Amino acid sequence: MHNDSDRLSDVDIIRRVINGDVNAFEFLLKKYREHILRIVSRHIPHNQVEETAQDVFIRAYQSLPTFSQKSGFKQWVSGIAMRTCYDFWRKHYREREVPMSSLTEKHQDWLEKMISDQSSNSFSEKGSQKEAGELLSWALDRLSAGDRMVLELIYLEGLSIKEAARLLGLSTANVKIRSFRSRKKLKKLLAGLTEKKRRET
Amino acid sequence: MKSFDKNMEKLKKEFVTAYHEKERAEVGKEWQINVMNRIRKLGPLPARTDYFVLFRETVWRFAPLACILILVLVISLIKLDFIPESELVKIFFNNQLEFTLEQLFVV
Repeated sequence: MHNDSDRLSDVDIIRRVINGDVNAFEFLLKKYREHILRIVSRHIPHNQVEETAQDVFIRAYQSLPTFSQKSGFKQWVSGIAMRTCYDFWRKHYREREVPMSSLTEKHQDWLEKMISDQSSNSFSEKGSQKEAGELLSWALDRLSAGDRMVLELIYLEGLSIKEAARLLGLSTANVKIRSFRSRKKLKKLLAGLTEKKRRET
Repeated sequence: MKSFDKNMEKLKKEFVTAYHEKERAEVGKEWQINVMNRIRKLGPLPARTDYFVLFRETVWRFAPLACILILVLVISLIKLDFIPESELVKIFFNNQLEFTLEQLFVV
């Protein structure tokens, strides 16, 4: 099946799947597995990636009849992956099944050093990458699912508002508002943390 | 707060680096087998009739046949020395004294 499928385009494979050849979907799964895992790994906690990536392909399979060929399959399935991650966080915030990350004195010290006027050193000299990642997770956990996704796509991945809106299935106006609001919230959260530290010392 | 604003860009750089350094998940063959098992359980997708696509496909399927038919008709009309009805009417009106309707259609 695979030798045959290698010569076929995505559209041909999709047509075969729609016409009832369920096994032909394995070709698309194999081809786009790494791409989807890369997207999901960036947005979802490590222990939930495998299951969420599975859900992405199940959703893609069920939505295949609506694939319009206007955009490529890769772009289309990326949008599904992004919306699945968004749904994961919406469900997570509703049920709180993943424990919220917490901070230690070490994280607060790192932040304090980073934002102090004297510091001009680079990140590698200043502290561990782990602390920056954990601090970021802590802050993201305190944003809503939508704000979190928008912040990750625009602020951290550098996507345009239009691109983020297309991937999340939201309007550009909505993404613009969320982008502004989430950045403001992030700043407030981090500023609050440093204030707290200052009061304690 | 002013110092915070000033250093926010520096902080952003650190966050972006940490974000992109996130551990990437690796999946094995078993993961792929599980996905395919779930998909097989769902079964074939329900057939969806898109009438516009169906119409478009049908029209294009018959397009070469229509072209050949038009070509054959044009050639046969030229070979048969066909005079359209409008030509006959023109002749009749230009030579009213010499032609009658009877002559025109019965003969």
